[in-house]
Amino acid sequence: MNAPALSPATPAKTAPAARVGIGGPVGSGKTALVERLIAAFAARKVDLAVITNDLVTHEDAERVRRSGLIDPARVSAVEAGACPHTVIREDPTLNIEAADDLERRFPGVELILIESGGDNLASTFSRDLTDFWIFVIDVAGGDDIPRKRGPGVLKCDLLVINKADLAPHVGVDLDGMIAEARRVRAGRPVIVTNCRRSEGIDAVADHLEREVLFRT
Amino acid sequence: MLRLHGIVGDRRDHALHHRLHHLEHHDAIEFLFVPEADLGRRRLRALTDRGTECAVSLDRDDALYDGAVLFIDDDRAVVVRAGAPRELRLRPQGTEGALKLGFLAGHLHWRVRFEGTDLCVVLDGAAADYTARIAPLLDDGIVTVVGNAN
Repeated sequence: MNAPALSPATPAKTAPAARVGIGGPVGSGKTALVERLIAAFAARKVDLAVITNDLVTHEDAERVRRSGLIDPARVSAVEAGACPHTVIREDPTLNIEAADDLERRFPGVELILIESGGDNLASTFSRDLTDFWIFVIDVAGGDDIPRKRGPGVLKCDLLVINKADLAPHVGVDLDGMIAEARRVRAGRPVIVTNCRRSEGIDAVADHLEREVLFRT
Repeated sequence: MLRLHGIVGDRRDHALHHRLHHLEHHDAIEFLFVPEADLGRRRLRALTDRGTECAVSLDRDDALYDGAVLFIDDDRAVVVRAGAPRELRLRPQGTEGALKLGFLAGHLHWRVRFEGTDLCVVLDGAAADYTARIAPLLDDGIVTVVGNAN
């Protein structure tokens, strides 16, 4: 089969901002990942905004706003008021409106990170809301998490295993956990991080630059 | 990499159909296979069946569908196909079978790849429509359908 000669790439028309969801269990490190990604994308000159979801507070949004890493006006808060997955999957209207609002207020924004409230392994994002979504688990939750085959672990576009440094302290076989994660995900991407020390963050940012921002 | 934003139209649209038909005769249509579960994506990076890397983005109120034309010019087109590629695996018996099958596959502009001595045809319709074109070879037993016709 002969491929036709390649013609030059067509210039892109203006595309809306990419929307990337970040979900995962309570305490797995979602907000820490958001904070590290803000710094990583700032260094890469990516025009960024953030939405955080909390149950009944704006705590995560305030944490990100106070971080000094991003213009506080670029951080929006959504109160789920119910199970966090309801506003990222069943009816993501609140988050869609928040993202639309950020795009209106900051024309040219390239990437919007949407952090879900902490949930369980069944949490997934609607494609109406996100173009790509990350699921964050951590080694302290136990190395059997991938084996439990939760929809979040299986269906996400990128699985992040955080807190790798804790593995020896909580009796977790990290290599086995990574292998199990890759096996249940049939080889789809898995990246290991230690957000507190920014380890693995560049790999996550590289992945998003390639798969979502199409920069490389 | 082809950076593509938006959908040009539906391959069944009258105006596009004519242009696509012309390109088809020049073996210049590339298919971007998108799993059903990924049709809701508004950003996607994937390879066409010809190996062209495409970075696709859509407006928020747009959605991919089977037959969506993402790119078309005088030299080629990129068209979305929903689902995984379907293949018909054909195994020629001996030199005669290989020559005749190769001749017909080329003559019919089938999309093929080779796996060992098997010819794997990427289907763009019912498998029966393909086997009908090589019925004499199948009847004579110099080509057989093996494995994963689906």
